[in-house]
Amino acid sequence: MPNPPPSIDRPQRWDAALDPKMSDATVERLLSTAPFSRMKTENFPGRLPLRDILKNDTRVHACRRGEIVMREGDYGTSAFLVLSGMVRVVLGQGLPAAMLGRRLFHRKNIFKLVAQLWAFQKEPESISVRDLSKDLSASTHDAHGEEVRICLQDVPRILDKHKTALIEGGEFFGEIAALSRMPRTASVFAESEESELLEIRWQGLRDLMKYDKELSRHIDQIYRERALAAALRRIPIFQRLSEETLKKVMAATEFGTYGDYDWSGEYKRLFQSGGPRPQEPVIAEEGDYPNGVLLIQSGFARLSQKFGHGHRTLNYLGAGQIYGLQEIAHNWRKPQSPVSLQYTLRVMGYTHVLKIPTGVMESLVLPEMAPRDLPALLSTAEDRPAAPSPAVDAAEKVGADMLEFLTENRFFNGTATMMIDLDRCTRCDDCVRACAAAHDGNPRFLRHGPISGRLMVANACMHCVDPVCMIGCPTGAIHRYAFGGQVVINPSTCIGCKACFHNCPYEAIRMVEIRDADGDILADQEAQPILKATKCDLCVEQITGPACQQACPHGALARVNLHGLEAFATWLKR
Amino acid sequence: MRFSQQRGFGFTVFLILAAELVCLHLAYARQMPRLSCLTGWALLGVILLLALYNGRKKLPFLPLLSSEEWLQFHIYAALLTGVLFAVHVSYKIPAGWFQGVLAWLYLLVMASGFFGLFLSRAIPKRLTTRGGEVLFERIPAIRRQFQERAEQLALQSVGESKSGTIADFYLRELKPFFSGPRNCSRHWSEDGGPVNRILAKISDVKRYLNEQERATLEEIAVLVRQKDGLDYHYAQQLLLKAWLFVHIPLTYSLLLFTAVHIVLVFAFSGGVR
Repeated sequence: MPNPPPSIDRPQRWDAALDPKMSDATVERLLSTAPFSRMKTENFPGRLPLRDILKNDTRVHACRRGEIVMREGDYGTSAFLVLSGMVRVVLGQGLPAAMLGRRLFHRKNIFKLVAQLWAFQKEPESISVRDLSKDLSASTHDAHGEEVRICLQDVPRILDKHKTALIEGGEFFGEIAALSRMPRTASVFAESEESELLEIRWQGLRDLMKYDKELSRHIDQIYRERALAAALRRIPIFQRLSEETLKKVMAATEFGTYGDYDWSGEYKRLFQSGGPRPQEPVIAEEGDYPNGVLLIQSGFARLSQKFGHGHRTLNYLGAGQIYGLQEIAHNWRKPQSPVSLQYTLRVMGYTHVLKIPTGVMESLVLPEMAPRDLPALLSTAEDRPAAPSPAVDAAEKVGADMLEFLTENRFFNGTATMMIDLDRCTRCDDCVRACAAAHDGNPRFLRHGPISGRLMVANACMHCVDPVCMIGCPTGAIHRYAFGGQVVINPSTCIGCKACFHNCPYEAIRMVEIRDADGDILADQEAQPILKATKCDLCVEQITGPACQQACPHGALARVNLHGLEAFATWLKR
Repeated sequence: MRFSQQRGFGFTVFLILAAELVCLHLAYARQMPRLSCLTGWALLGVILLLALYNGRKKLPFLPLLSSEEWLQFHIYAALLTGVLFAVHVSYKIPAGWFQGVLAWLYLLVMASGFFGLFLSRAIPKRLTTRGGEVLFERIPAIRRQFQERAEQLALQSVGESKSGTIADFYLRELKPFFSGPRNCSRHWSEDGGPVNRILAKISDVKRYLNEQERATLEEIAVLVRQKDGLDYHYAQQLLLKAWLFVHIPLTYSLLLFTAVHIVLVFAFSGGVR
């Protein structure tokens, strides 16, 4: 008789609490503190009691003066509530990169460029102990053997030099970035000698908002006050609205988050196992009544249309793109022949959207639009969806197979995806050698990766629009370069925790053992090798730009922005 | 710029320069007896520029135009050297042995370069069509995996079926095939004959096997096809790399002979006066 398959406990949401050491006494204390003391426990369902949310989705941080709580540009998954003490948010021009534990990249001058000829004759990934701690204005510390945080060294000087604002007890901060998956817009550091903060991970905050209407209203209000106006003003259809009208639109705007914030881990696991791709929840479905215009704020969504018994992908939408406007505008102009939604919109990973209800669009927004800016009327001759316009149907540009390939593998996230035309690539590896020459003899990518037809997407950092690798970096070592927006790693502050390595769904990050100048592997006191994350930095220090692209003799390799397919289509048809 | 536009531009510039060169030579050949000195120096200058491309590849981080632009220049300037060479030698191979060797060296460098260009354009398409993309450096390791798996299957069949038919067949027909790269020249000519013969033999031997052995042999047949694909990639990628080992040493030889040629010209004809 065959043995029954091994069984394990089904993983549960709170198998891994944010802080496994969170005590019941602390939870009791939180329950007696505002805003939790005002929440009605009976509003929370039995499976998600308030007490358990606090116990599993929060943790208390005791911060010293100058300790950085969050950094501008980081991708954070948590919001913070000030329990006691005060913190300061840096307004206007942010703190210098070096203070935030980031590396200042400078383009090399001609002498340093030439010096690379002999300077890279070092051991692989070697670094001197002095280089490891060369960041003088920021320090990492490991106070209890658990956590590494960065402290500002000279708080009075920062207060003198930068415009800051105080956040006091009972106030929230960081909630917008946590819920909308946008980068932090400001840095925050502890002001008091001893501040106490409650970190709430986004899943907990989402549930707290869901079952406590007052908190939901409060967070919505903060969002409306701090970010919504700027978000709407960035979209052309709202740019002609008066301040007063925009306020009315803002008041009626609804927020929606779909999908899984931490989609990358699950996606990577399924991808590696060769299993089916993760489910893509529907945001809006073809054939339904268009009850609002959806504005994608962050993440990505797949636009598809029914085709036979399946769905044909037409395009993918990213931040700043709009869904449903054409249908609503059509119905407003031709109410006698209304149309339903023409396409289905599905979440790819995680998507945060703003929804402007149809009534608001019809009464406030569409009348203000210039006739030439209104989308074209849809064909309603037959009882079926109109053929997608070339602007919608990206398959017209790059081919249906290629579009499916890019979408399935979520390559649309890349702003500098390494594309190799295998029909022209002679496999000479000049690109790899050039990369090595520009990085101390250590190439930062593999000329290997998924293939569709004649195109290969190599395992090189794509410098994503939505860099999931940055989520959870404890020291901010992986960050966006302030000038070009490239995702770069500061080896001085990388602690080798592998968070970025595990998060990257494209296998573009590698953990390497670091050596000293003699080639000996550096190890800690427990004889464990010191690891650092490495990846393509798009040659931020080189004046030529990406060395790989410069070195390809046959024009077979290009770093392509796939967030929008124009450049890619042009390159594809060279 | 599209590749076709790139080609069109390159050819147009080449044709204009080539026509001018030929016209100038026709016009001044009789009036300027030392014209060959001028064309010789021009030829050497262009050849040195062409040879610099290898140096440029070693300096990818310097702002010296992209490698693609250098290659385009390399191709069309190389074509132009053909015209310069023809003009320099007055459209005939020199009779003296040294000059003859020098001329043949030039022609070989030129021929190897254009053969390399042909390979660079033709082989990538072949590899893409065949599929199974693999890094050249990984091929020996993958080949070893195939060999080990095939041997394991052959040995396993002895224990499972108490018969040595597959193991004997493996030793006789398949071991040499799995033990290294095979049929390079046949792969270059896109000839699938050798693998088809092996598969035919596998098909023949199947009639002497039981159900379990047939399944094992089918697995081995899959490995044979995969190994053949690997050999195909090895052969084609080898060719893509190997032509440079002809082109570059010939270029250095040409430069060396040219240097001696210049010395001889100055020594025995008084040089340019």
